[in-house]
Amino acid sequence: MSQGDTVPLHPSSQSDIDEIENLINESIQSGPGTVLAARPPSPTRPSIPVSSSPFMQSNLPPLPPSSSAQKVTPVPVPPPLPVVSNSSNSQGGSQGIGASGFGSPPNTLTEPVWDTVKRDLSRIVSNLKLVVFPNPYREDPGKALRDWDLWGPFFFIVFLGLTLSWSASVKKSEVFAVAFALLAAGAVILTLNVLLLGGHIIFFQSLSLLGYCLFPLDVGAVVCMLKDNVILKMVVVSVTLAWSSWAAYPFMSSAVNPRRKALALYPVFLMYVSVGFLIIAIN
Amino acid sequence: MDPNQIQAPIENYANPKTCLFHVLFKGAALAFYILSALFFNSFVIIFVVTVLLAALDFWVVKNVSGRILVGLRWWNEINDLGESVWKFESLDQESLSRMNKKDSWLFWWTLYLAAAAWFILGVFSLIRFQADYLLVVGVCLSLNVANIIGFTKCKKDAKKQFQQFASQTIASRFQSTVQSAFTLV
Repeated sequence: MSQGDTVPLHPSSQSDIDEIENLINESIQSGPGTVLAARPPSPTRPSIPVSSSPFMQSNLPPLPPSSSAQKVTPVPVPPPLPVVSNSSNSQGGSQGIGASGFGSPPNTLTEPVWDTVKRDLSRIVSNLKLVVFPNPYREDPGKALRDWDLWGPFFFIVFLGLTLSWSASVKKSEVFAVAFALLAAGAVILTLNVLLLGGHIIFFQSLSLLGYCLFPLDVGAVVCMLKDNVILKMVVVSVTLAWSSWAAYPFMSSAVNPRRKALALYPVFLMYVSVGFLIIAIN
Repeated sequence: MDPNQIQAPIENYANPKTCLFHVLFKGAALAFYILSALFFNSFVIIFVVTVLLAALDFWVVKNVSGRILVGLRWWNEINDLGESVWKFESLDQESLSRMNKKDSWLFWWTLYLAAAAWFILGVFSLIRFQADYLLVVGVCLSLNVANIIGFTKCKKDAKKQFQQFASQTIASRFQSTVQSAFTLV
């Protein structure tokens, strides 16, 4: 790249913008005291979809150009350390890529694969704990499931389907297909229900929530699979059903208008009740 | 001197293991789905294994081969206002241009081909009125399409960023030149 061909690059390899800024400052100091001309404003962060977090600089909110006397707004800049990205590209295979961390915001592009796996797994566990078990964050449901992911729900739905299918003595395939389709379509429809009621919830966040709330029913299904006593099944299913509903309650109710809380919660309860019946009825 | 040595070496895959994994799970899901009817009677096994392989493929493409083969990454975050924001991350332009051409060719084409293959299989199962197999195909297709959309958006975003940066650098260099020209006068 020919960015720095008129200026010798410092060994500390300043970013290009910093170099240009220094040039400007030097020319200002040596010349008349003109105010720094307004730089083209940084791209403002759009309120909805696309926002980018560039490789090196974090997306700090852009300072208004008039206030930038010496320090210029950090424009998204490619990293000044081509050496590091070079080495991260040329290493073959999926392992052994050096971790990043030049003291910049977490740079996930060059992390080792094992880090990604661990990060995702720990996110599943933390989401599960936030949703299903009592914890102080349940007061603020919006924050609790900030880091939604769909892997947990996926595993729970498949696990529930498998458990039901295993317990069934006949028509195993139909049971699995019905359970999976019921849960998946049910989650989508319930989310649409909340959205149509004028609730403020994000589609994937709600799917994620409803999936995680299946965990108690999973436990119940496993217990019912191991012990085939009808009374025990009913007790276990009612307990886990109550647990699931309790888990889902704060998230769903905070998303809608208080007068419409029941309208949003009733279908959720209905879905879990039908899954509960499925668990009891399978033998 | 051997004339072959004077020629520029043909570019090979820079990351053969990653390329292999990228293709492996996609191919395994498709192959298992197509061939399983010959070996297994149970729909459950077909469903679970196929969807599992497709989910693994989704994860590998999104988190590993996207990063390594084309230097792109996308994800979704929820900001403090409770809005959903799609985040894109890409390597700087230098590294992007240094990416192995074969790698990125393989990446994009297998992505498209896999989606097309699942679509065709979906049409078949629709013709045969097999709703449960349609479910499998639907899940796998949506996983593939999600990746395609995510990476395409990410690539466009990277291009846009580079153009912005280029025009800004040109503008600021122009300014500095003009300023230094004025101070010299």
